[in-house]
Amino acid sequence: MSLLDIVLIIIRVSFGAFVPLCFIAFCVWMERRGAGFFQDRSGPNRANILGFRAAGLVQNLADAAKLIFKEDVVPGHIKHKFYFIFAPVIVFFTAVVSFAVVPFADTLVLGGKSYVMQAIPTDIGILWFLALAGFAVYGIILAGWSSTNKYGMLGGLRAAAQVISYEIPMGLAVVSLLVVYGTVNLSEMAQFQGQLLFGFIPMWGVFLQPLGVIIFIIAAFAEANRTPFDLAEGESEIVAGFHVEYSAMKFAVFFMGEYVAMFTSSAIIVTLFFGGYQIPWLPTATLVAYAKPVALAVMLLLPVIMYYFAGWIRKNNVSHYDRPNDPRKREGAVYIKILWGVVAIMELFLLIILVSPSGGSLARIFAAELQISTFLLKTTLMCFVYVWVRWTLPRFRYDQLQKLGWQTLLPLSLLNIFVTSAVVVALS
Amino acid sequence: MGAKVKVIQRKGESLAEKIYLVEVFKGMKTTLDHFLRNLRDNSKLYVRHYPEQQPEIPPRWRGRHRLTTHEDGSIKCVACFMCQTNCPAQCIMIEAGERQDGREEKIAVRFDIDLIECIYCGYCVEACPKDAIRMDTGIFSVVENSREAMMINIEELAATPGAFDEEEYKKGGA
Repeated sequence: MSLLDIVLIIIRVSFGAFVPLCFIAFCVWMERRGAGFFQDRSGPNRANILGFRAAGLVQNLADAAKLIFKEDVVPGHIKHKFYFIFAPVIVFFTAVVSFAVVPFADTLVLGGKSYVMQAIPTDIGILWFLALAGFAVYGIILAGWSSTNKYGMLGGLRAAAQVISYEIPMGLAVVSLLVVYGTVNLSEMAQFQGQLLFGFIPMWGVFLQPLGVIIFIIAAFAEANRTPFDLAEGESEIVAGFHVEYSAMKFAVFFMGEYVAMFTSSAIIVTLFFGGYQIPWLPTATLVAYAKPVALAVMLLLPVIMYYFAGWIRKNNVSHYDRPNDPRKREGAVYIKILWGVVAIMELFLLIILVSPSGGSLARIFAAELQISTFLLKTTLMCFVYVWVRWTLPRFRYDQLQKLGWQTLLPLSLLNIFVTSAVVVALS
Repeated sequence: MGAKVKVIQRKGESLAEKIYLVEVFKGMKTTLDHFLRNLRDNSKLYVRHYPEQQPEIPPRWRGRHRLTTHEDGSIKCVACFMCQTNCPAQCIMIEAGERQDGREEKIAVRFDIDLIECIYCGYCVEACPKDAIRMDTGIFSVVENSREAMMINIEELAATPGAFDEEEYKKGGA
């Protein structure tokens, strides 16, 4: 093993482990500020460190500190303490680990060796995700059962009723996708989506499988326990469902697990249907060959975006009431300076790519970085869709979800498989 | 007889509504419009920036109590116990004494209100025959560190001025 091998293993594993964890803070922030803006209020925007509120991100630190220092209660009536404590661990662990097979950049070729950009470079791909995501529900059922609480029990039962109604359509939606892609490996799926359909449409899953997208996204919402399918939680009718008896960090682990699951299923949806890390009309080979023009375009685009972003900060980071020499204006000016600094550093890196010889390993690394940014951008947008749906739709009743799963999604996904197979056979 | 019957048309029966997705996307468009409007310019949020921006209190609003006084500064209360009897929360405690200035026979020497018990119903103001107790201070936030501190006595009640002028207060129907 050369040094390069070890460095790349460290990079890939830390990406697979830490990016979901970083996205917890980001998703929670997006959820709360997003909820505020959807409902015409402002969301948490007061918590600060020395006057710096970071658009409300500091609130996450305050919440984390609160949850860490709260008393961790295990109620006396709980008979199976091991299961009670083990349940949140299952939820969190499966959510983090299922991200490990998602490719975040095209296979990187460095020094004649190729590196698959996944935390675990395995071929089983989507099967790994289906297995682990299916396992996460056991954590919720176990939590509901081991709480020895009526509400907890009902939450666990609802989760069990939920899992039998969405797992099958989800699996069948994936089957029709496998017919199209001809592989279970997520890296190969993402590479497949770099091609063009009829020469001008990117060959993304969303264009090849329009019905499959809808079925899979609905099932993924149910799988991530998000509204409109968060009936296992149901705070208005069963208090908090499966996590009534949980407090402090055990609750926090459930909470974080939910957001990691949301991030992971967004990443899977993006990889399966929205081209993964692929930049539309710019496959990896083109990116590497034309690294310099692309770098120049990014160099020109960055300051323009930053200019408008700075204008937006200046307009919105102010107090909306009379306040002598508004501290928020000063705060905004500091943010703008820091962001311009970041832009300057990025420009410097882009300049190095412009002056270095073309087609080398630097161009390949640059292409990989662009793809990672694209992947994260797409995943962020998908997470936003999760937030957006949550603050738009009311919750389904669990019999409605079962009816939807068995009577609508199941026949539709079967139909989708037949139609897809017929088209694939006819074309080959 | 013949009560008026208004038949309301049931919604959700048409095919487009039964598919759900169309309506879901319509709803999502509505919420996205709100989101984008607020994201572009957050001064459009329907938000009062409390505590920097205080709410406007109308004269009829029932705030913390006060005891009104005559021009010479002596309290109007004659310790008739009407408010204490009428109080559904039993938060008023009055002790009567002899009045020396010749206006009336009795005066309250102790007039305590337990603000933890008080439900701000305003029955004490309604019951008072002398217009001696009012809830027009405009104080809406009563916060203390202990139960004992939430008991306010006669001096504090008499010292608090009303937040509105007499004319405006009378317009409210008092």
